[in-house]
Amino acid sequence: MWSTFIVTMKANLRDKSSLFWLIVFPIALATMFNGVFGNLDQAMSITPVSVAVVEDTNWTNAVGVDTLITAMSGKNGDSGKAQDDSRDVMDIDPGVTLLDVTKVDSVSQARELLSQDKTDGYLKADDDGRIALTLSDNTVTVANNGTQEAGLDVSLSALDNVLDQYNRTSVTVKSVLKDNPTAPATRTFWNGINASMNATKEVTLTNFKPSVMARYYYALMGMACLVAMSYMIHTVTTAQANLSALGIRRTVAPLGRAKQLIAGFLAGWLCSCVCLLVALAYIRYGCGIEVGGREPAAVLAVVVASFMTCAFGTMIGAIPKLTTGVKQGMSTAIACSLSLFSGLYGGFAMELSDLISRKAPLLAAINPAQQVTDLFYSLMYYDTYQPFIRTCAILLAMSAVFLAAGVIMLRRQRYEHL
Amino acid sequence: MTTDTTAVHVSQLVKRYGDMVALDYFDLDVKQGEIFGLLGPNGSGKTTAINCILALLTYDSGTIRVFGQPMTPTSYDLKRRIGIVPQNVAVFNELTVTENIDYFCSLYVPKKAEREPLVEEAIEFAGLQDFRKFRPGKLSGGLLRRLNIACGIAHKPDLIFFDEPTVAVDPQSRNAILEGIQKLNKAGATVIYTSHYMEEVEQICDRILIMDHGRHLALGTADELKAMIDTGERIAIETLDLTDETLAAVRALAFVIEASYDGRELEVRCRRGEHNLVDLIGVLRTSGANIGHLTSRPPSLNDVFLELTGKALRD
Repeated sequence: MWSTFIVTMKANLRDKSSLFWLIVFPIALATMFNGVFGNLDQAMSITPVSVAVVEDTNWTNAVGVDTLITAMSGKNGDSGKAQDDSRDVMDIDPGVTLLDVTKVDSVSQARELLSQDKTDGYLKADDDGRIALTLSDNTVTVANNGTQEAGLDVSLSALDNVLDQYNRTSVTVKSVLKDNPTAPATRTFWNGINASMNATKEVTLTNFKPSVMARYYYALMGMACLVAMSYMIHTVTTAQANLSALGIRRTVAPLGRAKQLIAGFLAGWLCSCVCLLVALAYIRYGCGIEVGGREPAAVLAVVVASFMTCAFGTMIGAIPKLTTGVKQGMSTAIACSLSLFSGLYGGFAMELSDLISRKAPLLAAINPAQQVTDLFYSLMYYDTYQPFIRTCAILLAMSAVFLAAGVIMLRRQRYEHL
Repeated sequence: MTTDTTAVHVSQLVKRYGDMVALDYFDLDVKQGEIFGLLGPNGSGKTTAINCILALLTYDSGTIRVFGQPMTPTSYDLKRRIGIVPQNVAVFNELTVTENIDYFCSLYVPKKAEREPLVEEAIEFAGLQDFRKFRPGKLSGGLLRRLNIACGIAHKPDLIFFDEPTVAVDPQSRNAILEGIQKLNKAGATVIYTSHYMEEVEQICDRILIMDHGRHLALGTADELKAMIDTGERIAIETLDLTDETLAAVRALAFVIEASYDGRELEVRCRRGEHNLVDLIGVLRTSGANIGHLTSRPPSLNDVFLELTGKALRD
């Protein structure tokens, strides 16, 4: 039994076709995803906008403007109090750097920097203390063309929003103080000011920061996992007298077929695990796709998923009267088609996958590719391990069904035909 | 080397594939130590009989005993004494020559220390010393067949089934395989050998069974089989001036089964007889035909085979 295990391992690891589909293919596809989707997260992120600040008399007279700029620069202000104020008033995430500031004394100096492309724009306060942002033509062009500098348009939009809020609040406060100079003494006044400041706030509901692209990589793992069926198809066909000459030779040997199949199964399972772990490692560390900070559980996910695919391969491999080539073709067709419903092939497939999960959850539950995808998805998004454990249980139940069907087909010890 | 102890006993074996009868009350007795030839045209039931003996196929009725014991899929003690060289090459393409032989030997001999000399011996036996690290994909047809044989005999079985082991190999490899089989037999192995090549069966087999349509047609040594048929010698005479009348006179001879003339050579298939050649030459001389080169060949196993199984083409 040990020698059968070792030989099956060697045969699997020397099978170039399987190695291609199980290691090279997912790595190549993950690399492709990385190239295609790599800018997607960046495009949605805020990058610092390089601006010159004209520190003239108007700027010096404007109340709170330095605190605002310091907060948007992501730096501590002159005092800790200023930083605290900025958080309280503007509700700005101190981890976000919106501005990269260069201080100048005059507009002409600021324009000089703009013309030299050293800054994207400049900030200047007017007589009423309102701040205006002036952008260079080049910056506007680049911002309108999202492919050139990912995230610039988002940053400018956010900057514009913050400055607009500052200007409106400043005008409101001045107006109120003019009509009612004692208003700052009341809590209602400050509550009103704060209320007007509250805009959109990012909160985290999931275990880990969501990634638009992660699901594609998880779906890729689902497909790679199903492709690993080929190991067991090969193992079963080469152990069955009615399926191959090699099977005849092995059946005539004095080692029980169950032992040979178990050894083959264990070898196939181990090889699948190793191949999928290589793919997972590349996706996690090569492409930087997170698994919710739960790497050990991701390894367990690979172990469960590869067990399921070996069980699936056992069932396909045991189907009588079909050649090995037909069975291998079937396994590829199954892997490709089920991956469509797990969202591998882009936005449309992802919507289809979501639609199936919502409208026909049973169909999603019996799709092994979807379940393998969900294994990693549940690690990424859910706070508890419960969804992960539930998906593991579904995959193990599937494995039991596949193995039972396989064993029924393999239980014959003698055949009508060879 | 042959003993009276039976290695394989098959009695009244019936195997049907639906309406088709593959083995029709088939009988077989192979003595220990002999090389037993199983001859028959395609579809005659040879491989089916072997697969039934090896407990690979179910059968409808009959008895099969190997070394005196019933053969079942779980007769592991019996299986340890059996080796098989299947018709199709059955090796792992991903393993080297040595790894393949070692693996198949390991199914019979689990201990590595006991196995190593056996594997080495099998490699030498098959003449594969220079190809130990080669994978099957790099071997020629003849070497592949030799690897197939080495995988089947490495564990030194007492009974070896060779199912057409020389198909598609060159004469040198075929000769090496046949000599190897005789060597195995001399070392004590009983061999059951199936083939379409009459000359090699005649060369190595102690006894031959000819079967067709799943039935036992004739059994005996090559000479005994030749004695069973009506066909005697085949006479070929080179003559350039044979007339139609002379050919008709030849065909009219009582011992002539068949006579043909192609303008250069007269070929006559004769019944058994003491004076066939003399009588034939007498007819030719009387007609004035000039006689050139002349050969007379005794009946071959091929004649026996064709007479027993007919000349109709098979699948």
